[in-house]
Amino acid sequence: MAKGDFNAVRVLKRVLIYTALVLAAVLFMIPLVVLVMTSIKGPREIVNIFALPETMYWQNYVSAFERMGRGIWNSVCITVPAVVISTLVGAFGAYPLAQFRFRGDSTIFMVLLAGLFIPSQIVLIPLFQIIRALGVYDSYVGMWIVHTAYGIPICTFYLRNFFATIPRSLMEAALLDGCSVAGYFFKILLRLGKPGLAAVFILQARAIWNDLLYGNTLTRSDAVRPMTVELATFVSQTDVQYGQLMAATVISILPMIVMFFVFRREFISGMLGGAVKS
Amino acid sequence: MRLETEKKLTFGAFLLIPLVCILVFMVYPIGKSIVLSFHRWDGISPETTYVGLRNYSRLFADVRFWTAVSNNARWLAFSLALPTALGLALALLIDQKIKGESLFQTLFFIPYTITPVAVASVWRWLYEPRNGLFNKFLQLIGLAKYRQIWIGDPSIATYSIMFSSLWWTTGFALVLYISGLRNIPQELLESATVDGARFSQRFRFVMLPQLLPSTIVVLAMSGISALRVFDLIYSLTGGGPGYATEVLATMMFDVSFNRFEQGMGSAIAVTLFVLSAVIILPYVYHTSKNLEDITNG
Repeated sequence: MAKGDFNAVRVLKRVLIYTALVLAAVLFMIPLVVLVMTSIKGPREIVNIFALPETMYWQNYVSAFERMGRGIWNSVCITVPAVVISTLVGAFGAYPLAQFRFRGDSTIFMVLLAGLFIPSQIVLIPLFQIIRALGVYDSYVGMWIVHTAYGIPICTFYLRNFFATIPRSLMEAALLDGCSVAGYFFKILLRLGKPGLAAVFILQARAIWNDLLYGNTLTRSDAVRPMTVELATFVSQTDVQYGQLMAATVISILPMIVMFFVFRREFISGMLGGAVKS
Repeated sequence: MRLETEKKLTFGAFLLIPLVCILVFMVYPIGKSIVLSFHRWDGISPETTYVGLRNYSRLFADVRFWTAVSNNARWLAFSLALPTALGLALALLIDQKIKGESLFQTLFFIPYTITPVAVASVWRWLYEPRNGLFNKFLQLIGLAKYRQIWIGDPSIATYSIMFSSLWWTTGFALVLYISGLRNIPQELLESATVDGARFSQRFRFVMLPQLLPSTIVVLAMSGISALRVFDLIYSLTGGGPGYATEVLATMMFDVSFNRFEQGMGSAIAVTLFVLSAVIILPYVYHTSKNLEDITNG
């Protein structure tokens, strides 16, 4: 084969690769573009889904915020403390599992691993009773407890693998220097483990922010109900103003998208570490 | 040996909170659900009536249950095949040393950062029969007669929801496969190229075997998500029209918390639990074997 032919084939291949990628990327972006465009269209323009908005109809956002504002605030109040608590409790469990072999450690591991995959439905009815019995039904505290409890498998699992990469000799040295076993965790391990903790933070923030099932089952009042429950009610309404619904959707996804762009690396590594054994 | 005692005590204390949480919020509720599935209970009254296997026999005789099971089976087939294949295909394209690699990766991944409820919201609008994107587009290109009531027509509604799920989850498989491709030793690929292997051969004999760990994870995650699928269906159709798009998770929720038949709801939950266990046990076994290696090493 002549050299020129070979180059032509190569160029053609590159062109095909880029065409396929650009096409796929455009298709993937269409729903989001339509979402944003519709959210600023007034009721008269909304029938033309392909047309660019002629005037910015911000009223959609005003109404959406009136409807969703409280839910979003609730989601923030549920997510932020729950992320911190569940990561810390996960780290508590991960420390001994990473540093120490003891009877039953592999059993704990199997339980954690199984816990990653259990469908929430299996615990839902008894959970409803437990939460009522604890007197935390329809409260932020109840949601913190639930998200912490069900975050333990993933947090412990991920952090155990992360802590295991920190040399054990470091701990032995610290202990010889008179550091206590608990002191090593709080003063050294938590500091060295920052990248792992950051990834778990993001992983948990996404999971808790996105939760619909627990919010739906364990909260009732406007003062506690998270954004997802509010949005689900909006989506399943029979008659809906699509401009307002799209504005509400934009508001509800914005925090997660911003977080993704700011913490892109942690987001991806959390995703990978949560799924792949490391 | 004072240090050993201190270690034991401290580590015991550290494990206490996680273990108590697991016992109270996982082990106990699972046991309780199994017990409840043999009872009739409205969820409110203090009294539960033992009914033996009646919940299960009623459930297995119910057409609605079999609709849900067959939909779960369809979700399983879909989740194992499509997001995995599309994710792998896109990952291979991105891996061809192209410009804007991370831009493409980000664009494909963005949908996965979105709350499933919000995904449902966007797609309800895209599927809207009169002004939605799909029907408007068909009209625009002169195929108006193919317009559909995408999520209102029982015969296609489940597939419409799956399509929105494909848009949402492909990014996940993509990211796993990209990291899998990055982990393939370059020498392997280079020596295969030097030996004159075509792309298809390199893919078949070098990449695919090397991607096995990623594939196992992607398949396990997809398999389990097919049984857990809830948010999208709950928000888009609520399991309707009729029970056309219902799966075990949405049926369980409706039976337990709208109809307050919590014994029956528990029976559905136990069924779902057993099915998940069957799907996930090979993966748990595989992973825990690898973990043993790490802890021993």
